[in-house]
Amino acid sequence: MFHWLEKNPFFFAVAVFVVIAFAGLIEILPNFAQASRPVIGTKPYTTLELAGRHVYIKNSCNACHSQLIRPFKSETDRYGHYSLSGEYAYDRPFLWGSKRTGPDLHRVGNYRTTDWHENHMKDPAAVVPGSIMPAYTWMFKNTADIDTAYAEQLTVMKAFAVPYNKELPMADGSKVTVALADTVEGARASALEEAKVIAVDMKDQDVKDAVAAGQVPEIVALIAYLNSLK
Amino acid sequence: MNKTVLAAIIVVIAMLGFTYVAVGSAGGMGGDGDWVNKLAVLGAVVLVIITAFVVTKYVRQMQSDTASGKLADENWDGIGEYKNELPLGWAVIFLGSVVWAIWYFLAGYPVNAYSQIGEYNEEVAAHDAKFDAQFANMDESTLNAMGESVFIVQCAPCHGLQADGMGGKAADLHQRLAEKSVKYVIMNGGNNNLLGTSMPMPDRNGLMNANTNALITDAEIDAVAKYVAGGLKGTEGASVFAGTCAACHGPDGKGMEMVAPNIAEMSPSMVDMVLHHGKKGAIGQMPAFTNLTAVQYKALDAYVASLSKK
Repeated sequence: MFHWLEKNPFFFAVAVFVVIAFAGLIEILPNFAQASRPVIGTKPYTTLELAGRHVYIKNSCNACHSQLIRPFKSETDRYGHYSLSGEYAYDRPFLWGSKRTGPDLHRVGNYRTTDWHENHMKDPAAVVPGSIMPAYTWMFKNTADIDTAYAEQLTVMKAFAVPYNKELPMADGSKVTVALADTVEGARASALEEAKVIAVDMKDQDVKDAVAAGQVPEIVALIAYLNSLK
Repeated sequence: MNKTVLAAIIVVIAMLGFTYVAVGSAGGMGGDGDWVNKLAVLGAVVLVIITAFVVTKYVRQMQSDTASGKLADENWDGIGEYKNELPLGWAVIFLGSVVWAIWYFLAGYPVNAYSQIGEYNEEVAAHDAKFDAQFANMDESTLNAMGESVFIVQCAPCHGLQADGMGGKAADLHQRLAEKSVKYVIMNGGNNNLLGTSMPMPDRNGLMNANTNALITDAEIDAVAKYVAGGLKGTEGASVFAGTCAACHGPDGKGMEMVAPNIAEMSPSMVDMVLHHGKKGAIGQMPAFTNLTAVQYKALDAYVASLSKK
């Protein structure tokens, strides 16, 4: 074997590469696997939250808002604890963003509420004087795509073993189970249940009527998603 | 003259030619060039000549050299090795790197390695220590200024820069309770941890009016809501308050320790509880704010409590 390698410089170079690459892999991969594991307290998105995430992506919120708090005091004072890689375990794709025209949103669920988001999405300058964010009034009329969200949930559960319907440990020691319906009808029903909880805190009568009639406006899904960012 | 020397002379002439073409007109050779340029060109010429000389010397030495010295005892397929002393410089560098490697392995890398989070922790600890020392004993105006600045950053997005709740989007902090809020809490009960413990207030089905010995009525709720929202002044609703609310909140509405919160005015401790636990009421949900330091809480509590007294 070694005699043969010594006589074939090309394959010798390949063998050297393989040996060094192997050494690199066994150093890098375990650490990578450890760091990308979900942080305790991170849970998969519910159907409505995921539909809201799709609304977030569809309207390119990530073009102006980051979801990545860097470990600087000025940032953690304003946004909360710096982000950890394991917190993005269920983000496909992650929405770190590359530019902050608006503030970071990675923990916006900790310090903003349903009614604030409702006021803000309708008329940003009314709650944040001087804000250059446009109003997103169509979100109050368009219906969220629950079916696609459910399809994504099923896919990630099967392809990436995302732990739906499993007990997950939370930071305070409790256990949480994120339920995933067996059928698309079940998913629509559970998304509507989530939407009703959000709509109670909202003021827009059209939104309330739509939820009462079994529809889920995009704004409700988006608020569910933003509230889940903690 | 052998071929090596000839080649060296040709290379030197060629390089001097390139140098002249490149910088000659820029002042190096001309009479009007400054001294720095002339020195630089002179340096380039000297470098070219020295390089040619050294290279020529070693090439000729390689051509004519014969090996000499004492051979080592071992030889491999007839290939032997001379016994040479270690070059001093090489030996010093080798031993030096052994010492450095031990230091690096034990102390240099694993213990003192740079960490982004470590730097963050140090930055925060240093800042907090400085902040606490600087504001340990604030006077009234500094406390107020700090409270106002924290308010603008943390509270103004919902309560507005004027703390007026921006037309009902959040609570108006210039009064303790709005009429709507009083009604909401009587209808639905309350449990906002204002005393630091989960101390529920019953809803209207648990609120007796001692004057009539019956459950509180809609008309009485309207009257007492106006009375409380108006700062417990006047006579309308006063008897309902005395009969229903005063049992827990006190005859003056200032609350009782461990029983009921102050509903006559905002107190710093009550504001502190709202900040720590959040609140859910007639307008909506207020989240808890847990990201402030003890000094900032103190300043913000005092500032918000002072708003309602203006």
